[in-house]
Amino acid sequence: MAEATIPTFMRGKDKIMSLSDAVKTFIKPGTCICPGGFSYTKKPFALAREVIRQDIGNLFITMNGGASICEFWCAAGLVKLLDTTYIGLEGIQPVAYSVRRSIQDGTVDVEDYSNYGFGLRTVAGRYGWPFAPLMSEFGTSFMDHDTFGKMGLRGKKADGSWIHPSIAPARAAVIEDPFDGWGLRPHAFEGGDATSNQTNFLDQVRESTAYTGNKGVKCILVPPILPEVTIILAQRVGEKGTTRIEGIWGPDNEQAISAKNCIVQAEKIVTEEELRAQPYSNTIAMQYIDAIVQVPYGGFPGQVPYYYDYDWDFWRAYTQINRKDKAEVNKYIRDWVMEDEWTFLATRPGDGYPTITGTKGLERLFELRADALYGYRPGLARPL
Amino acid sequence: MSVIRQSDPKAWTAVDDTEYEAYCKERGIDPEEYTTMELLCIAAARQTYDFSFIFAGTGLPMIGCMMAQHTYAPNALIIMEAGILDPKLLEVPISVSEARGGYMCSTLSNMADTFGTFAQRGFCTFGMLGGAECDKYGNLNSTAMGGYYSKSARDDGKTGPAVRFAGSGGANNIASYADVGLAMMVQEKRRFPEVNEYVTSCTGSRGPLGSDEDRYHKGLFRGSGTTIVSDLCIFRSSPETGELQMAEIYPGVEEQLVRDNVSWELQTAKDFKPFAAPAYEEIKIARMVCDPNRIYLGRKTKRELAAEK
Repeated sequence: MAEATIPTFMRGKDKIMSLSDAVKTFIKPGTCICPGGFSYTKKPFALAREVIRQDIGNLFITMNGGASICEFWCAAGLVKLLDTTYIGLEGIQPVAYSVRRSIQDGTVDVEDYSNYGFGLRTVAGRYGWPFAPLMSEFGTSFMDHDTFGKMGLRGKKADGSWIHPSIAPARAAVIEDPFDGWGLRPHAFEGGDATSNQTNFLDQVRESTAYTGNKGVKCILVPPILPEVTIILAQRVGEKGTTRIEGIWGPDNEQAISAKNCIVQAEKIVTEEELRAQPYSNTIAMQYIDAIVQVPYGGFPGQVPYYYDYDWDFWRAYTQINRKDKAEVNKYIRDWVMEDEWTFLATRPGDGYPTITGTKGLERLFELRADALYGYRPGLARPL
Repeated sequence: MSVIRQSDPKAWTAVDDTEYEAYCKERGIDPEEYTTMELLCIAAARQTYDFSFIFAGTGLPMIGCMMAQHTYAPNALIIMEAGILDPKLLEVPISVSEARGGYMCSTLSNMADTFGTFAQRGFCTFGMLGGAECDKYGNLNSTAMGGYYSKSARDDGKTGPAVRFAGSGGANNIASYADVGLAMMVQEKRRFPEVNEYVTSCTGSRGPLGSDEDRYHKGLFRGSGTTIVSDLCIFRSSPETGELQMAEIYPGVEEQLVRDNVSWELQTAKDFKPFAAPAYEEIKIARMVCDPNRIYLGRKTKRELAAEK
């Protein structure tokens, strides 16, 4: 082995960085970036806002779990490629308008997977597997549509290197199950299986010649996700990177571990000992974290379980704003993020949209604090 | 499949009538008149069964599964794809991942684990979904209309699909793994074509049962048909052919209106029956327990808005 250098992920305390430095160091124009969290929950919005402030464009987003960050980035015109499963804002806006518009007007090219298909890709990424087995997506248009393939982004260049390091040489592959469906439930145990599902049509599936031309049970293989950077939000992170996510994990653990580098936005940086006293509750081992950024309330306007609730009134207002003229939405979002995160948090909550109490800035954030018994704020006013 | 339903309103979640009347008065709504969204929510809950595992997608299913748990299916377990198993919902969630949806759940994990540990493993008996487009065999399109591909991948000179929808999310997987599917949809002719141009999820038979085009011959090993709850009627897959048939029709809806709003020759199910109007007890629970803020129930369909004019 060549002369030893200390790997970056072993750096210890100097993983702690400013928001601006973390983004500057790891995210460049064109970076393949995987945003963590899910819809309104535990989205690393402070990091997302900093990307807008630094105007880092041409991004390739690979993501699962709701489009809120992607919506802001599309509004700011920073996205080029999207590898995803779902571009809605769930109960507040069925399709995130800036993402929809960007796909329709040719600004963004998109590749679709199902959630479990994508989820298995994150599992493969986490374990360093070449692929993972999927038993859905059969019979649907996923099987014969491949945007990145049609764009010529898959496979190798003449010099043998990958055309794009974060795009697999195939969208998926179909194989014949070498175990003939033996492992699928309900299984033929003596006296039947104890699982809840009743239907099992394997006898008919075995007669099928679909996809391979041969009779038998088929299985889809999906490739791992290999993002260059994953960004996540965690409630507590140790000074060396040990991470504890409380509440719904969403896709965070797998996506963080799949990536080359991971930036974690922490509500609070704590001593390693505080987290290692209950190591079974920690969710990501220290070596997967390359940068730690402490931004209390940085998940605003989203929800961080056990810390604070989402700002319902903001989202109601925003989903009116994002339907305006594209240039106007772009200007709005760039103006909304302000010059730095602290100014943003002291100014923007409750600013420019109606709320019941009329509080603004830190006072508004304080109002959104979660009730520890529920993890959210019971009775939060959510007028339609 | 034999199913159990809790049909006795006395066993449902209790709500005080006086409080309910006061609530309606304050909001200026009639305690016995229902809106389309309330009808969809109640109709969906009536299709569920007790002791099932209801895997709920986002949007209307959030309130559909909550309604089920407070009425016909008090022992049903709800699964939400972000990682939730068996929550006790006190407030309607707006996302399958939010803390309201995880309250008092048995375990909380991640997305891949939810689909693996529950759906693939064998605990996804009842799939509840929404969709944008539904065809004759219960295939849902929730991805795109007017050509799937975005600009750089298409060759017709267009900049992208005419209309882009949200995409599958977990819908494809829920439809693939559930014993029975259900989708809640607004019915318009253009949203009920004979064949979908893009198939996101096969909730029904996919093609004629027994042919090479059915779901099993494409490799799906579970699923036995679907129920589509529209704002006009309830469709079910024919057990013989797999085709969607009109199974129940809502009070005051003419059969012709249903037929005019699908693009194929619609058959009537052998066991066709009128749908009993939502009862006072059902409307009360939908409003008071599931969605007092009217986040979902306060929405109006195009048809309702047109009728108001």
